[in-house]
Amino acid sequence: MTAVDRNARWRQFVDPAILFVILAILWEKAVDVFHIKPYLLPPLSKVVTAFWDTRATLLAESWVTVQEVVAGFFLAVVGGIVLGFVLHAIPPVRRALYPVIVIFQGLPKIALAPLMIVWFGYGITSKVLMAFLFAFFPVVISTMGGLASTPSHLIEHFKAIRATPWTTFRRLHVPAALPSILDGCRTAMPLAVIGAIVGEFVGAERGLGHLILEANANGRTDLLFAALVAVSIVAGILYFLVELAARRVWWRAL
Amino acid sequence: MDAAVATPPRTASPAVAGEAGIRVRDVAKTFGGASGVRALERVDFSIPRGQFVSILGPSGCGKSTLLRIIAGLIPPDAGGEVEILGRRQQGVSPEIGVVFQSHNMLPWCTTEQNIRLAAEVQGLAPAEIDKRVNDILPVLKLEKFRRSYPHELSGGMRQRAALGQMLVLQPQVLLLDEPFGALDALTRDQLNVELLRLWQLMRKTVLLITHSIPEAIFLSDRVLVMSERPGHVLDDITIDLPRPRDPRAAKLAPEFGRYVVQLGRLMGVED
Repeated sequence: MTAVDRNARWRQFVDPAILFVILAILWEKAVDVFHIKPYLLPPLSKVVTAFWDTRATLLAESWVTVQEVVAGFFLAVVGGIVLGFVLHAIPPVRRALYPVIVIFQGLPKIALAPLMIVWFGYGITSKVLMAFLFAFFPVVISTMGGLASTPSHLIEHFKAIRATPWTTFRRLHVPAALPSILDGCRTAMPLAVIGAIVGEFVGAERGLGHLILEANANGRTDLLFAALVAVSIVAGILYFLVELAARRVWWRAL
Repeated sequence: MDAAVATPPRTASPAVAGEAGIRVRDVAKTFGGASGVRALERVDFSIPRGQFVSILGPSGCGKSTLLRIIAGLIPPDAGGEVEILGRRQQGVSPEIGVVFQSHNMLPWCTTEQNIRLAAEVQGLAPAEIDKRVNDILPVLKLEKFRRSYPHELSGGMRQRAALGQMLVLQPQVLLLDEPFGALDALTRDQLNVELLRLWQLMRKTVLLITHSIPEAIFLSDRVLVMSERPGHVLDDITIDLPRPRDPRAAKLAPEFGRYVVQLGRLMGVED
């Protein structure tokens, strides 16, 4: 690694950090200078204090939300890939089901949250299903897109070497579709977080979404901000994990 | 045309009497039903075992369609048939290896993995595959690149690897559809010399599709000239140049020039 490379890598972290510090100072000072009421925007120091004081609660509620998101995301990925493959492989099913899927995708999933609560209660199940609903369709669409984009000359090559359909599927279609599938997963993960939080908003006893509503109702804007920080940390970590998995499919960048 | 088929040129390897490498009988092809596009019009020729034959024709004349029919990838219209080594072609046969213009390498596999693929698909023993791959890599000058991925190879190396992908099954009949068509002229010439060297080593039956007149003359025992769509064989020219052929010497020979003029006229090129 050359000195220039090392410098570039170092600056990659330093530049955002500088911006962050500037914004933090502006936040802290602006609240003071403009006499903003703390229930509208608490000073940053208050938010940091609230975060530290309620760290045990934040961790516990984050853990609930993480479970909902991960379970919903996992179901969406497995179900989405399976449905994507089925729709690609069986044209009659595709013709019958694809319009239904398009209509469902156009439906605002938020509108389904009350129904999920009515059907599955205040517990974790309704939130898992909300996360699933948000994350499912991008995975289906990206799986179908990935399978359809398998280069035709490679399909012909597999025919020419007399590969069975199963071999062609395993050694050509799956690896060819993986980059697109992983792009779908990268879209799906933040959507799963939204789904779980929306579910918690509509009816829950646990989770970060519930904590946000509770802090709001109690006029604890500092705690609300602390919960928002926790949400972004959770979302960031989960997205990073998907990104790590996506990097293993290095040929997507080609 | 029939006369040329009856008397194989002296450059052909000692063929088994009566058994052609490739026999094409009354092959026609219409796409999209009876009222559809007629791509091929009654094509009929035979290639003795071990002969190197080129099909020369303008683009869109149906020569790639003909090659796909011979490869068994698409069926001819009713009434036509293809025989490979005396056996009637039904679907893709293991005696045939095909190379297309666009390389067939999987981007997520190394050169070696790509060459092994066809043999693995056929269920060959791993030890046998190892042996074949170790034989092929040096011949194709790809030993140093066995662990490289396609995007790390040059266009010429990729087409050499594509030859390896086909050779690993040890086919008796090679069908090449402008295998070096997408490469620059210099790389193309080099690969043609190597292809000729390979052929002299293995003496397989080769059918090459090209639209380059010098390439067809330099490589082939015979050149079949195809017409515009719907394609049929206009003429069958025996290339009577000594082998082994050296690219520079061959192109300077007066006969070479005469063949260029003759084939150019058949293809409608002004001279």
